[in-house]
Amino acid sequence: MVNLSELNVGRRGLLLGGLSAGVLGLAGCGGPAPKAAAGDESGELTVVTPIFEGNDGKQLLEKLMADFTKQHPKITVRADYTSYSKLNEKLTTSIVGGKPYDIMIMGAGWVPPFATKNVLMDLEMDKAKLAAQYNERVLSAGIYEDKVYGLPIMLDTRFGYYRKDFFEKAGLDPAKPPTSFAEMREFARKLTVRSGGKLTRAGLDILSLDIRQVFEPLMWAAGGELFTPDGKAAFNSAEGVAGLQFMADIILTDKSEDFGFSEPLAATGVPIVQGRAAMMLGHNNTWLEFEASNPKLITEDKVGFFVITDERPALLQGGSMATVAARTKLPNAAKALATYLASPEPALAACEQRGNVPAALSSADSAYVKGNEAVQFAVANLEYAYSEGGVPNWLDIRGDFKAAIESVLLGQTSAQKALDELATKADSKR
Amino acid sequence: MSRRKGVRRNRILLHVALTIGALLMIVPFVWMIVSSLKSHAEITAFPPTWLPADPRFSNYPEALQFAPFGRYFINSLLISIGHTSINLVVAVMAGYSLARLPFRGRTVIFLAILAAMMIPTYSKIVPQYLLAKNMPFFGGNDYLGRGGQGWLDSYWGLIIPGAVTPLAIFLFRQFYLALPVELEEAARLDGMGEFGIFAKIMTPLIKPAIATVALITFESSWNSFLWPLIITTRDDLRVIQVGLAAFQQTDATLWEYLMAGTTLATLPMIALFLLTQRYFVQGLASTGIK
Amino acid sequence: MTTAEHRTVAAPPIARTRKGPARSGYRLGRDRRRAGVLMLLPAMIHIGWWIGIPTVATIVLAFTHYDVLAGTITWAGLANFLDIFADPIWISSIWHTLIYTFFTVPVAMAIAVVIAVLLNSKMRARAWYRAAYFLPHITATVAIALVWKWMFEPNIGLFNSVLDLFGINGPAWLSDPTWAMPAVVIVSVWKGIGLKMLIYLAALQAIPLSVYEAADIDGASGVRRFFAITLPLLRPATFFVFLVSAIEAFQVFEQVYILTPDGGPANATTVMTLEIYRSAFGNFDMSRASAQSVVLLVFLLVLTLISRRITRTDDDVQA
Repeated sequence: MVNLSELNVGRRGLLLGGLSAGVLGLAGCGGPAPKAAAGDESGELTVVTPIFEGNDGKQLLEKLMADFTKQHPKITVRADYTSYSKLNEKLTTSIVGGKPYDIMIMGAGWVPPFATKNVLMDLEMDKAKLAAQYNERVLSAGIYEDKVYGLPIMLDTRFGYYRKDFFEKAGLDPAKPPTSFAEMREFARKLTVRSGGKLTRAGLDILSLDIRQVFEPLMWAAGGELFTPDGKAAFNSAEGVAGLQFMADIILTDKSEDFGFSEPLAATGVPIVQGRAAMMLGHNNTWLEFEASNPKLITEDKVGFFVITDERPALLQGGSMATVAARTKLPNAAKALATYLASPEPALAACEQRGNVPAALSSADSAYVKGNEAVQFAVANLEYAYSEGGVPNWLDIRGDFKAAIESVLLGQTSAQKALDELATKADSKR
Repeated sequence: MSRRKGVRRNRILLHVALTIGALLMIVPFVWMIVSSLKSHAEITAFPPTWLPADPRFSNYPEALQFAPFGRYFINSLLISIGHTSINLVVAVMAGYSLARLPFRGRTVIFLAILAAMMIPTYSKIVPQYLLAKNMPFFGGNDYLGRGGQGWLDSYWGLIIPGAVTPLAIFLFRQFYLALPVELEEAARLDGMGEFGIFAKIMTPLIKPAIATVALITFESSWNSFLWPLIITTRDDLRVIQVGLAAFQQTDATLWEYLMAGTTLATLPMIALFLLTQRYFVQGLASTGIK
Repeated sequence: MTTAEHRTVAAPPIARTRKGPARSGYRLGRDRRRAGVLMLLPAMIHIGWWIGIPTVATIVLAFTHYDVLAGTITWAGLANFLDIFADPIWISSIWHTLIYTFFTVPVAMAIAVVIAVLLNSKMRARAWYRAAYFLPHITATVAIALVWKWMFEPNIGLFNSVLDLFGINGPAWLSDPTWAMPAVVIVSVWKGIGLKMLIYLAALQAIPLSVYEAADIDGASGVRRFFAITLPLLRPATFFVFLVSAIEAFQVFEQVYILTPDGGPANATTVMTLEIYRSAFGNFDMSRASAQSVVLLVFLLVLTLISRRITRTDDDVQA
């Protein structure tokens, strides 16, 4: 009998090393799935989803699954509910374990990295036909190297909000939101209120969103781009720097907001809803915050929207896309399910549950869109939508934006330097 | 006479200091309870209110309906009890062995167990997942662990991997080290076997350590989040913390429900703590931690 | 320095009649060795499997380029290590981790030992006091860290509101690069007292009352008793608490992650585990994460060896 304690350290090390190598090796085993005949597939499809949370979401998804199964009786569907914050862990373990989920619902910007590594299946769909169902800008997030890998289910957008009542009080025309960076700064200066040195109302709140997603629409509005068509960093161009410089000016020069005044998902609430900010770069969901905390502002028509504009109008579009794993054993069934989830009715139900924007063109006339002003505004302006990502190394570089932008807003470095450093980093990871 | 007054004054000061300290400790928890009784609008109101204008006790049942918390509670309970009992049995033997039974390589093994505490969770999680998934003969796996899903989506996978902790072994070892060797020798003279000495003589003397490990293990299982999420895909196997995480959505957080849910989740732990207090009473054990 | 002099044993009654032949010499040694191995075996198997293998896998991966998504793995030698040490964010994360550990561990330990001693004496409502000090430990980090974020909020949070009463303009705490780490340290000290107090309480139970009685007879005051008698007797416990706390502090993740998501203002609170997490699940770069984990492991091993040498704990029993 092998007595572990009497094995000398060397032999024990070999044993453990061999075991671990073996485990990793076994995990890598498993070749590509055989292609089954169309319509002949039967089995279980697994879906991982960061949307459809809570009991409500689960009930909705189960109903959708039931409808799908009626049309495809040989297929059953099982869902794994997770959150966006843990989606990476779930995807990693499932991929490393050799059994990826058949359908993966993931964010915009994730498609190119996953597609390059052959994790996603080419859905082989006709782009022209799709363009009739979905806004082209919206579709682009799921397309990489001219192939369709992801179908949009829902979008979330970022654009400008403003308080018409504060505009009036400051002598500004409530029907005329700012149409350029210069105007934004000028209005913000007029709208900022400090009492005894303490900021009581920020003229323009740019800190209540993920700071990277504040920078991006400003950069696009200034005429810049994140990456060139062949994948090199382009955000440190003069236009990109102008976008970041605008943010620095708001915080450091004009002092229309102080760093730390607000932050994303703050428990203390959203400043514009509380009257602590007059304008804001916000999410279409901020509307729900108005509805929950201060609905009078809506009924009295005190809230307005605007698209960030300078050289051109730009709003940021993120979204959840349905993708199919390349290694799925039921390719046709999976494709059908992905298409179903992205089709107008199921997608609309999902959007309603979360207050997000439907991607399908036909949904623009739905009661839901008409009943939510922010969503309506987003749908009406989708032609100005840009999405982040688009390059295979996006996931490597997106996390570094925050520190770079913050160091500029804290006055630690200049906008040009910060973006140049970031660009060098991004290009080194290509 | 004045000495007694001085002692009394000291006692009062002591109580005041302890009370202030205790209040500082529980302020965040009090804030949590207060927030759990507010409506969403009130939590995010400006200027902020201290006490809820109209306590919403309905937050509690509403939070519980948000996800299948009854099921989550049972799962958390099973896993925590499983972890605690396994850890107590296995770690107590291991700690005793490392402390009182001589064999070659004992120090190296002890250092290896210490080293086992030094790898961060996020590095271990993927290999651990693979080990569970490729467990031979379970979940449709063959003898090499291929083909099926092993311990995924099973109570085996939820309970076994985290069941023994190096910390517990280390703690028991330290407590056992301090017991006097005379006890052992006396028992041996009476013809007791090693295991008998361990079970009947030495272990009953370290009850405070046992209570400590029980509390620590139960708490870490009760509040665990990442592993139960990773090892399961089915909702009916998930635990309380995973359920509470659903209140933190990507674009919004349902503060009032999160606070209510967490308050409820903490109550069983408080009860357990108070129940084990009788083991932290002087005179129960006889020698110090060495 | 052992407690040999103070070992008054409240020995449980053992029947002095022989139950069997006394074992001696060779047989005794062999019995003890066999018992030792058998009793250790379940733990060794479990830890070897669930922690040992992942540890070896991590160490091996640190020398490879493992592409998770593509499923390919190639040898990389020292490339990962050279890479991370050329990264200023990683270097600063090491520094942040050291600062965090340096401030959190001793402060929490000092408070914990004092509280434990105070709550060890007979008093009414002792259990309730102990529960209050233990409460931070048992409350799930996620929710309670969010409450702290609230309290640290620069404009309407509790801290700055209180400071306002004294006319002091509080900093932006978690949004201020200078104050973010102190804020995190405060939360960690608050949370860390409970467990340390519990371990000290357990250790204190074993100090025989006769020790204190002797001190009382000599007329020692409470404070003198604490420093001259209690604290020295608790030295081994202190070694244990220190080591375990340091290991835990080096691997802090949850509270830092929740209080300052994404590393704080301009990475002011980025600690090593956050970098590891980012590498593994932000960038899908397992090799890099493994290399960083190996560095962390080495730090902790060195720390352990140094502290064992310093305290010279002779904790190997000579039977």
